[in-house]
Amino acid sequence: MTTVAREELRDAAIEELGSAAVVSELEQLRTYDCDGLTGRRVVPALVVLASSAQDVQAAVRLCNRFDIPFVARGAGTGLSGGALPVEDGVVISLQRMNRILDVDLEGERVVVEPGVTNLAVTQAVAAEGYYYAPDPSSQQVCTIGGNVAENSGGAHCLKYGFTVNHVTGLDVVLPSGELVQLGGASVHTDGPDLLGAFIGSEGTMGIATRITLRILRRPESVRTLLAGFESVDGAGLAVSEVIAAGVLASAMEIMDRLTLEAAEAAVSAGYPLVEGLLLIELDGTREQVEEDTDRVIAIFEQVGATEVRVAESDAERSLFWRGRKAAFAAVGRVSPDYYVQDGVVPRGELTAVLRRIGQLAEEHGLRVGNVFHAGDGNLHPLVLYDASVPGELEKAGRLAEEILVACVDAGGSLTGEHGIGTDKACSMPLMFSEDDLATMTRLRRAFDPAGRANPGKVFPTPRLCGEVPGPYRMHPLEKAGVAERL
Amino acid sequence: MSLSGRDGDLVVSTARLDRIVEHEATDLTCIVEPGVRLSSLDDALAAHGQRLALDPPGDPTIGECIAEGLSGPLRHRYGAVRDLILGVTVVLADGTIASSGGKVVKNVAGYDLAKLFCGSRGTLGLVVRAAFRLHPRPETTSAFAIPAARPAAVRPLLAELASSKLVPGALDLLWPGALLGLLEGSPRVVEAQAAEALRFEGAEICGRDVWDASRERQRQAAGVMAFAPSELGDILRSEAPTLVRPSLGIAYLDRPYETSASAGLRDLHARLRQEFDPEGVLVA
Repeated sequence: MTTVAREELRDAAIEELGSAAVVSELEQLRTYDCDGLTGRRVVPALVVLASSAQDVQAAVRLCNRFDIPFVARGAGTGLSGGALPVEDGVVISLQRMNRILDVDLEGERVVVEPGVTNLAVTQAVAAEGYYYAPDPSSQQVCTIGGNVAENSGGAHCLKYGFTVNHVTGLDVVLPSGELVQLGGASVHTDGPDLLGAFIGSEGTMGIATRITLRILRRPESVRTLLAGFESVDGAGLAVSEVIAAGVLASAMEIMDRLTLEAAEAAVSAGYPLVEGLLLIELDGTREQVEEDTDRVIAIFEQVGATEVRVAESDAERSLFWRGRKAAFAAVGRVSPDYYVQDGVVPRGELTAVLRRIGQLAEEHGLRVGNVFHAGDGNLHPLVLYDASVPGELEKAGRLAEEILVACVDAGGSLTGEHGIGTDKACSMPLMFSEDDLATMTRLRRAFDPAGRANPGKVFPTPRLCGEVPGPYRMHPLEKAGVAERL
Repeated sequence: MSLSGRDGDLVVSTARLDRIVEHEATDLTCIVEPGVRLSSLDDALAAHGQRLALDPPGDPTIGECIAEGLSGPLRHRYGAVRDLILGVTVVLADGTIASSGGKVVKNVAGYDLAKLFCGSRGTLGLVVRAAFRLHPRPETTSAFAIPAARPAAVRPLLAELASSKLVPGALDLLWPGALLGLLEGSPRVVEAQAAEALRFEGAEICGRDVWDASRERQRQAAGVMAFAPSELGDILRSEAPTLVRPSLGIAYLDRPYETSASAGLRDLHARLRQEFDPEGVLVA
């Protein structure tokens, strides 16, 4: 974009939205040049700070007039580069749209603007005994709008499902600038499930400006347990047995020795130093939790747990979780650099794939830490490397990619919760055929015929797939300890 | 499914696509073809102590469940077919075969065509294979019924229920008459829940046939109405529903009820059809 064109765009934006809603100085624009995937950076032509659906419509129409793309952005905590700006495009920030519009406890619904943080929803209803179930570990800062774009999960989605299972309605500004309502307070809709298709589309179909969420009553009882095993396989076997026994745990997390030691050094959670640690949470009625606790303890003993601990207080429960949540950042203590992979395998394949990852790590001469959502087969291998050693970054990249191949080969997926974004767009052909991708593109064209909404994300493009990602750099929020990569 | 074709149309039957392709018991997932009936899938899964938590009236095929976006009382806790489906393979009007999603329970790679096809009534293509998330089969089942006949009494009743220790697996309001709750779990859990239910005035414990009554009302309904759960009282007073799922905001009526989609939504539907079936080969 020429300087003249840029100034013209800026002036038009100020005329439409007012100068307080327009960011155009280079230094300020740089603030928006990346999201949680800090290795990729692009400075946008302009940033619009929207305060209303009308502002979003005006910004989108402006992009249509100038024939340029737009990228929606919430808190910028996404890990897959879904909010990476497009050169010569406009970033539409939704952080000013942070009002909770309605709390209806009786109907168990909360209506919010997209810039409201995930945790704020629970905070708004906690006193009355309710909560919002999806709990990505960035929940203090990540926004509901971003959760909708990524179909975010969290440790407890094992039992309660993902964002798509908890959103009943959306107001969406389409790439044409038109506002449509998908769903509402009722879960009943007519015709193809456009709401379900929109959630998780990573900003490529439009911008949600009003979101209706379902809230749940807090369970009567919650219990958290730790079980130590002589190997990660042992912990994996325990998970399989718990599932086979028909126990519906609300969370099951595994940490291996490497991540366990790092986490322990960071937060002193008092974890037993074992080869495989399983953290399990059970919730429901008091009777249900008591019964499930007995059953899982029996299973742990049967499969050879070396130690089982039950959290005796809320304080101990949160300590158990604190170590798990700090695990990613804590790995920074044992390695100068690391890359967080996000893949999924069928739960019956957990141990086989973990062994394969071990083999791959050995072949590449790199260490891999495993800390993951075992209950739903969502692996987060941490590939450790030292970017200052020539060639190691590339080696880590290849290893991370081969781990993904192993997940897909086992019948799994490229991503369980971080999204495709720019990070994995080039890996899509590992999982999907050309016809699969072309069919998805038909859906996209129905929403966005001109391809203006977040281009270059989700789908592989020749331009994008020629590039090599830069070294991993810690996100400022992560550095400050506000968010972790889970 | 009723066929609405005209003379000369070609009917493609999926009745012979009736295999259970895969049941990963350790992963609580399965892959099935569209001609499989819910009852035969349920029989196969029961042998492993598992189930597909989907209970629409009658005994539809999986293809019908997806095309019509079906659900039953269990939607209260487990959602509809769109919440349980993990992936699909579809055949488009031009013969393209495409897959989306997968067979794992957690997956955000690419667009979710499986959900898009839920409720699409065959207008976008034909589902030839679908993967589902399964649930453990409860050991015991019971139900409670609490009298509910006056609109003004329903809201306080639901509020009381919400603050009780009851966690029903389904919650149906047979109107006017009774609020039904499904209790599932181990004998001890169900017993404790039943005791909790009996604290409500006039409450009774009933057999599983109460759900047949509820599903029969759903089957016979001539219209379905979506409403905001907070507007329940008004709906009961003015719309005379026969069955209401209060937590979901769904009312079944004994008369046809037309929802008018907004112009924007109609446009979006039309563009979708244009993209998936530009020649208009598929008869809606």
